Amino acid sequence: MVTLLMVSVVVFAAIEIIPGDAATRYLGRDATPEALEVLRERMHLNDPAHERYIKWISGAVTGDFGTSLTSGRPVTEVLAPKIFNTVILATVAFLVYIPFSVVPAVFAAANRDKLMDHMISSINLLAVSIPPFLLATFLLILFVITFPILPAISAVTDESTVGEFAIAIILPVMTMAIVMAAHTMRMLRDNLIEVFDSDYIRMAELKGMSKHRVLLRHALPNALGPSLHITALNINFLVSGMVVVEKVFAFPGFGRELVDALLVEDQPVVQATVLLASMVYIFANLAADLGSMLLNPRLREQ
Amino acid sequence: MSTEIQINSDQLEDAPISRFEALKRVLRQSPMSFRIGGAIMFVHVFIAITGPFWAPYDQATIFTGPPLMGMSWEHLFGTDMLGRDVFSRVIHGAHLVIILSISGSFLGVALGTALGLLSAYLRGWFDEVVMRLIETLISIPYLVLALLLVTAAGPKYSGEPTLVVLVVAFVFAPRVTRLARAAGLDVVMNDYVTIARLRGESAWSVIWRELLPNASGTLLVEFALRTGYAPVLIGTLGFLGFGVAPPNPEWGLMISEYRDLVLASPVVVLAPALMLASLIIGLNMWTEGLARILGRSVRHEE
Repeated sequence: MVTLLMVSVVVFAAIEIIPGDAATRYLGRDATPEALEVLRERMHLNDPAHERYIKWISGAVTGDFGTSLTSGRPVTEVLAPKIFNTVILATVAFLVYIPFSVVPAVFAAANRDKLMDHMISSINLLAVSIPPFLLATFLLILFVITFPILPAISAVTDESTVGEFAIAIILPVMTMAIVMAAHTMRMLRDNLIEVFDSDYIRMAELKGMSKHRVLLRHALPNALGPSLHITALNINFLVSGMVVVEKVFAFPGFGRELVDALLVEDQPVVQATVLLASMVYIFANLAADLGSMLLNPRLREQ
Repeated sequence: MSTEIQINSDQLEDAPISRFEALKRVLRQSPMSFRIGGAIMFVHVFIAITGPFWAPYDQATIFTGPPLMGMSWEHLFGTDMLGRDVFSRVIHGAHLVIILSISGSFLGVALGTALGLLSAYLRGWFDEVVMRLIETLISIPYLVLALLLVTAAGPKYSGEPTLVVLVVAFVFAPRVTRLARAAGLDVVMNDYVTIARLRGESAWSVIWRELLPNASGTLLVEFALRTGYAPVLIGTLGFLGFGVAPPNPEWGLMISEYRDLVLASPVVVLAPALMLASLIIGLNMWTEGLARILGRSVRHEE
């Protein structure tokens, strides 16, 4: 909570030091000084910075982020549909991400140091190294130009049907899922191997438990714990990746709104989006801590 | 991975050998990833250093040939929409990207190290303030923070390579600070630090002579790791239009500039994309190998 408040100060200060004030940007270079003065008065730009900060943050707590400078509508109203789109995209990406990371990790760990493991690890190294915008570009070349089966841009509108929406998000979802899964997979594989070497797994095997049961009942839950933390890091990835992926595929979501607002210096929208993005990240970290406590009884007792 | 080879330090100390011999032995026993990554990096650094001397054309010369011409002997990667030679631009880009990456991450690691070690040594309110600040900056997703910083710098400086270096350093510094502080705290407990302090040495002298040498392994790996992240961040910023300004031949910027041309001439996008991807893969492999040689694990983050 304190961190979030500090973030809001940083964001506010960063916007504050942009040269030129909002009134000038709003009216353009050749606005008359009188008009500028009137607008500044109306936007409370003449108030001292700390007063404006308090005004903004107390509004933000109640969900009122002010008015967008470019569209003139309340920021909340501008952002709500974008956030909705992004949440769907992120949820689908997350659902795809889980099998994308668990399945190859299990296969690699089960066939340790065999051809399968080496192949998966090599592909994984590629996936870890490639930044989202590059992966998106490669996928675009592959599926839009070489095999023209998917749309290049994911410009869904309010009128799009569910089917159109589903097709539109295939490429963004793939990009995000691969980027996120790459790190988790590697970590999960190493954890699994470590767990396979432990005494309780050997014990379970000696008891005559089936291989699948050992894997699902004993190995996986224990290996999953540390991976939860990387999943929290992945939320950071997700937020940063969303910005890129939505921009690449022209998907009308939160991340693209953030970039566009920064480009036109629409400060209320920038403040709101950065604050929300940081909030998501902070809560994701909290959730990961709680999650690993649930999976690890030793931590629960503390 | 099966290529894991433990460097046996006793073995190295067996006979008095020259430094060069020792280096050769380390290289011979080094993990495969270190060697492959090193080879890829060597090629990149070679191109970066010598490229500007043998690139057939200047990076900004227009109409070196007809626009959007495909691959040919005169123009290995064809020409772009302004008839600039893409091969030459990619080569000049190597120079730019590597200089930006190394200076950005070096500055970030230096800054973070100084702050982190100082924080570990002084403790008390200084440590408290630094940690709060670090926590805040880390809570803003790193790409969002970078974009925010570029915007805050204002139009006068945006597009300047120096700004990109500063932004990279600023985004990396808090994360390095946290690491350096943790490494420093381990060392501070040792008696020799107390003795140095009791000798009446100044804080900087203790940090420079006692803390830094003992934390150098961790920090070296961190520097290598950051140098691997830097091209990703720089490329992403360039791709989104927040990095260096055209006509700089930065690869991320080139990919975004040429994205629309991909139907006419795919090579103009593929060339910078593959260069960037291979640089990142090379750096990652090398870093992983380096970490293994130094007996440290690579922490992947963001």
